Amino acid sequence: MAEVQLKSLRKVYPHERGARHGIGKKRASQRKSNLEVTDEGVVAVQDFDLTVHDKEFVVLVGPSGCGKSTTLRMIAGLEDITSGDLLIDGKRVNDVAPKDRDIAMVFQSYALYPNMTVYENMAFTLRLKKVPDAEVDEKVRAAAKTLGITEYLDRKPRALSGGQRQRVAIGRAIVRNPKVFLMDEPLSNLDAKLRNQMRAELIKLRHKVDGTFVYVTHDQTEAMTLGDRIVVMRDGYVQQVGTPQEVFDHPANLFVAGFIGMPQMNFFPAALRKAQGGYELATDFGCVPLAERTSRALAQAGAGEAEVTAGVRPEQIQVHATQVEGALHAVIDVSELMGSTVHVHARVGANDFVFVVPTAELSREDGRAYADGDEIWFTFEPNAVHLFDRATEKNLI
Amino acid sequence: MVRERRVNRVLSVVFTILSLAWVYPMFMIFVNSFKQENAINTTSVFELLNAGNFDGIANYVNALTRQGFAFAFGYSLLITVTSVVLILVCCSMCAWYVVRVNDRFCKALYYLFVFSMVVPFQMLMFTLSTLADNLGLNTPYNICFIYLGFGAGLAVFMFAGFVKTIPTEIEEAAMIDGCNPVQTFFHVVLPIMKPTYISVGILETMWVWNDYLLPYLVLDSTKYRTIPILIQYFRGGYGHVELGPMMACIMMVIIPIVVVYLLCQKYIIDGVVAGAVKG
Amino acid sequence: MGKVLRRWWPLFVLPCALSFTFGFIIPFVQGAYLSFCEFKVINKAKFVGLSNYVAAFQDEQFVHAFWLTALFALVVTVLVNVIALAIALALTRSRLGGTNVFRTVFFMPNLIGGIVLGYIWNILINAVLSVAGQQLLALNTTAGFWGLVILTLWQQVGYMMIIYIAGLQSIPSDYLEAAKVDGATAWQTLWKVKIPNLMPTITICLFLTITNGFKLFDQNLALTGGDPNHMSELLALNIYNTFYSRVGAKWMGIGQAKAVIFCVLVIAIALVQLKITKSKEVQQ
Repeated sequence: MAEVQLKSLRKVYPHERGARHGIGKKRASQRKSNLEVTDEGVVAVQDFDLTVHDKEFVVLVGPSGCGKSTTLRMIAGLEDITSGDLLIDGKRVNDVAPKDRDIAMVFQSYALYPNMTVYENMAFTLRLKKVPDAEVDEKVRAAAKTLGITEYLDRKPRALSGGQRQRVAIGRAIVRNPKVFLMDEPLSNLDAKLRNQMRAELIKLRHKVDGTFVYVTHDQTEAMTLGDRIVVMRDGYVQQVGTPQEVFDHPANLFVAGFIGMPQMNFFPAALRKAQGGYELATDFGCVPLAERTSRALAQAGAGEAEVTAGVRPEQIQVHATQVEGALHAVIDVSELMGSTVHVHARVGANDFVFVVPTAELSREDGRAYADGDEIWFTFEPNAVHLFDRATEKNLI
Repeated sequence: MVRERRVNRVLSVVFTILSLAWVYPMFMIFVNSFKQENAINTTSVFELLNAGNFDGIANYVNALTRQGFAFAFGYSLLITVTSVVLILVCCSMCAWYVVRVNDRFCKALYYLFVFSMVVPFQMLMFTLSTLADNLGLNTPYNICFIYLGFGAGLAVFMFAGFVKTIPTEIEEAAMIDGCNPVQTFFHVVLPIMKPTYISVGILETMWVWNDYLLPYLVLDSTKYRTIPILIQYFRGGYGHVELGPMMACIMMVIIPIVVVYLLCQKYIIDGVVAGAVKG
Repeated sequence: MGKVLRRWWPLFVLPCALSFTFGFIIPFVQGAYLSFCEFKVINKAKFVGLSNYVAAFQDEQFVHAFWLTALFALVVTVLVNVIALAIALALTRSRLGGTNVFRTVFFMPNLIGGIVLGYIWNILINAVLSVAGQQLLALNTTAGFWGLVILTLWQQVGYMMIIYIAGLQSIPSDYLEAAKVDGATAWQTLWKVKIPNLMPTITICLFLTITNGFKLFDQNLALTGGDPNHMSELLALNIYNTFYSRVGAKWMGIGQAKAVIFCVLVIAIALVQLKITKSKEVQQ
């Protein structure tokens, strides 16, 4: 059993005189410009409430400086907790030293000890605990086998490739057999191809090692693919907690909607108006009636007429070569061939939209491919439209 | 291309001549250190060795046995080794602490260290030598504490410069792995800093080994003489200057330096560059 | 790490801080104070205000040493840097054979201590002077000054050359290749690409040589000892002689006052360097 509970966790970096502003070295708090600044200092993490269940894989995701790493480092014990409680297995560990929290951490830069061989790197923690040599050897070799790095055991880290170093870093964590694995952007130093491969391996590994994972990344693809639940953060605040599907289908606010999803959701200003049998949107490129389910949800929420920001995911837009009924008009700016799909950037009224069109459907009925400057028409899929309050940026539904 | 090659050929000749001129002073001492005492005077120093002036290794034997060279060499070695080891160990630990803890006290200490690098020795020579006398630090066995105090500036500065480039993640990993700060320092930080140890070690060795004024003022120079003190003592005109043995002394000072230099040239040059660029 | 480490200060900081306190801070503060006192021994000092400073500036030997040092530092700085840079440029040329040997040779004198160097050159210069029929160093002011310059060149050119070579090698080869593609001559490449990119190194070397020139002591003592009659005496040696060679209680205090003046001068040079280095960093 390893359950991690974070109860209204808060982190404030005190002003200037703190130990964090190194001689010449600027700590994160100085770079984070959007963070709230109070009399106490710069607030890096605010009111963080979360329970990570046993054997759950939770991903903290957000842009750089959002407080996700700080949160992870608080769980690890590398960062003091300003206020709130951190519980591992129901025991408050705020003041417990990192080594006694029964956690393991994998760092972005791998943080391997350069002077030790792979074997020594992995054995180091056990040696410090005075584990008998035979047992150390057994555990290290078992971990090395799981990760496929047995043949590198005698090498120094600098003789390894990025992917191999990454494995050693994970191996060093596995050897400890901890209750909780903490991972701080472990894949972001790898090149794109290796990153995809390691991501798949992490998913496999996760089932081999029984443990609770807290994983930090700024990459939403990693978050979506790895996490049982993801926690989207921004400027020190938790924006939304949920399964990847929930977060994708029902973003809590404008920020989450924009952050999750590639390419980004198309946003446009609109006026929400009541129409017969439901609601419709008045935009500068025409009137968009809302689907029945959306309208019902709006009615339930008691929404009145209001200025809103509307958003539609590029994948949920149908593109037509000719004007069909109810379709809206757009002019192509430029299109990018991505492989199986094409990203079409188009002007829609005063807005820039991106459409994702399968490459196979790309040609027009007359056999000619879409060209820059062509006129096209599009329709939204039912229930595709997300509505956000213009002022609070919260999802209206 | 042809022109470039011609320029290179000219440069090679120029540099060969210049190099010979560069080593000539040392060569001259080398030659004269084998001459008979009465064959050395201001004009005859340019003469090469011949049957008339060759004296074998008599000057070397004389220097070692009668002039106290062996003792001076021993004291110089003792002072240099103890001081440099002390400086390396204490200053690296101090630098790591200062950079990582980095509170107001540490910052103040750090800036004092940097300040001390600039201050010329003449500023403190009188007060320091008096203080050393009063504290009983005036023997070759504990003069190293003064060297630690006076040499700390450069050493802490260079170590601190390097510590700042070590990612804190490695130390955090060690902390999670169960190291206390002492273990972290000796198992993890110290091995990473190895190149800096070499650089600082070389710079401090060059300084302490060649230093004249500090040991001269601090040590009781009737009892303890380091090599520079010994040479200056004879130069100072206390009685008759025996040139032959002195040249032998100089050769015996230079030869170890040259041998060490040729063996660890790369480290010495890297160390000097690192010291200059940081300092 | 910082928080856990803080408790360990007695082990990590105390040895260094303690030695530093006794080896630097206390003597420095005492020295600064004593420059306002008349004393023979430290604990019997009588406060005399600024009179030591007044006496220092009235001491002709000191004023002479001051200007001589300034001239010496200027001459040495120019010569050392020009020669060292020229050698460094030549040795970093492609396809020049034997560069490592030359480098090794030029750097070697730097490792030999000032006293030994001074002694070697004392013998050599006296020999040259006697062959040329000139007066020996002990009586020859001009030869003393230029002998010191030559000695310093011999010692420091190799050192500065090494730093310049490091600086030249750190210029990205893209720049040099771009200049070549653009059709720059060797001369243009030197002035438009190499020298501007070398400015940080040049700053470092200039200040190193200036500071070394001002602080020079061992070589001065061993080569001429200030002879004849303090005419080749530089500042550091003048201060030393004021302390230890002059008879009379007042000279201790004056010597300390001179030392403070000297110290302020060296610090001022260092501050100018710091400022120049900082302003360069901002530009980049």
